[in-house]
Amino acid sequence: MAINKNSNLYIIIYTIVMVVIVGALLAFLATSLKPQQEANVLNEQKVSIMKAFGEAELNFDDVVTMGRITDGQFVAVEEGDVAAIFALLGNRKALAEAENELPIFQLDKDGVTKYVLPIVGKGLWGDIWGYVALQQVEGNIVITGIVMDHAGETPGLGAEIATEGVQKLFEGKKLYDAEGQFAVRMQKGGAQNEYQVDAITGGTKTSDGVNAMLATSIGKYESFLRGAEAEVEADTECCGECCAEEANVELNNEEE
Amino acid sequence: MKLSKNFTNPLAANNPVIVQILGICSALAVTVKLEPALVMGLSVTFVTAFSNLVMSLLRNGLPSRIRIIVQLVVIATLVIVVDQFLRAYMYDVSKQLSVYVGLIITNCIVMGRVEAFALGNKPWDSFVDGLANGLGYAFILVLVAFFRELFGSGTLFGFDVLARFGYTNNALMLFPPMALIIIGCIIWVHRSINKDLQEK
Repeated sequence: MAINKNSNLYIIIYTIVMVVIVGALLAFLATSLKPQQEANVLNEQKVSIMKAFGEAELNFDDVVTMGRITDGQFVAVEEGDVAAIFALLGNRKALAEAENELPIFQLDKDGVTKYVLPIVGKGLWGDIWGYVALQQVEGNIVITGIVMDHAGETPGLGAEIATEGVQKLFEGKKLYDAEGQFAVRMQKGGAQNEYQVDAITGGTKTSDGVNAMLATSIGKYESFLRGAEAEVEADTECCGECCAEEANVELNNEEE
Repeated sequence: MKLSKNFTNPLAANNPVIVQILGICSALAVTVKLEPALVMGLSVTFVTAFSNLVMSLLRNGLPSRIRIIVQLVVIATLVIVVDQFLRAYMYDVSKQLSVYVGLIITNCIVMGRVEAFALGNKPWDSFVDGLANGLGYAFILVLVAFFRELFGSGTLFGFDVLARFGYTNNALMLFPPMALIIIGCIIWVHRSINKDLQEK
């Protein structure tokens, strides 16, 4: 008896067998390639952070101290907790909602301490995210580097935030103005002062998104950043005292 | 004789991109640089070759009422295989290709060859046909990407070529319309060589 290939039973069995085979094949493939794919994502996060530091040639694992900002204090992360930090970086929604225990990366090089914070926000069409590197300079906080990426901003307009040309504009911009207000922003019509960056022509909504992203994401670290600022001032005072003491010692020596 | 003609025909005289004008969408999108264009071309070649092979093997037991569904399942599976491998072993390229790997499923060349050839021919012939059509597509992609990367970025496969001669990059080459114009020029050259393709 020849099988009727157009009978319903044949078609149903055919479909079931096909789906089971294909499903098993794809499940096997996805599971076996997953570790490699996750390693790629992790590596990309590390490379982006090093790019924000402006030290792309250094190896993340060798030089960067990972930490969390808990109640305004830097707490170094323990070995077993590293994966949790990167998982949080990979989960933009959770990162945007995090209020405490915020991930932060510290790099000490040539006597200068820089911090990198993750930033997340919304552009015109979808998520925008990145990393910003900060450093204390003369009682203010200065952006030393930024990397940004986007899910679906308009190519040639908003998508320009992912280009080096735009990201370079942020370097050296101060976070806080003379009144201590958060002032760094992309300014439509061109940068007027040391807090402003040229906005993207035709990408106003994305530029606004970047402003909101910087304000909220960096704002969460404010207590820590302000603390760091104060610390520097305290350091200088201490140094002043040291100098005075030294001067006294010298005077004493002369007297002798 | 027939087999070798099966192989050479899609590469030149009956090229899927410049004669049948199929697969233009991805040809515009992924030809800014040579590397992604080459990877895309090879990915499509893999999918056309193996979807033709698998469908040709299945053709005798295939219920004709769900023919298209089965084709889609086979093609989609192969595309997911390619996508997963690129993500694991060529992460940078897979990021540049982004959605276009997934969109191989909708590439007319793939389903066109399965419908037109694999369902009526033996497995080996079908495999060769799919391979040749994929390579014909890849060849045009690489050719377009060659001109776009050379004149748009002054590089080839990321290596400086024109920059050392003081060439200023022409950003116009990086925009999608230039891919269309270059394909147009290739079609022009191709038709002036193969006079039988010219419409009377």
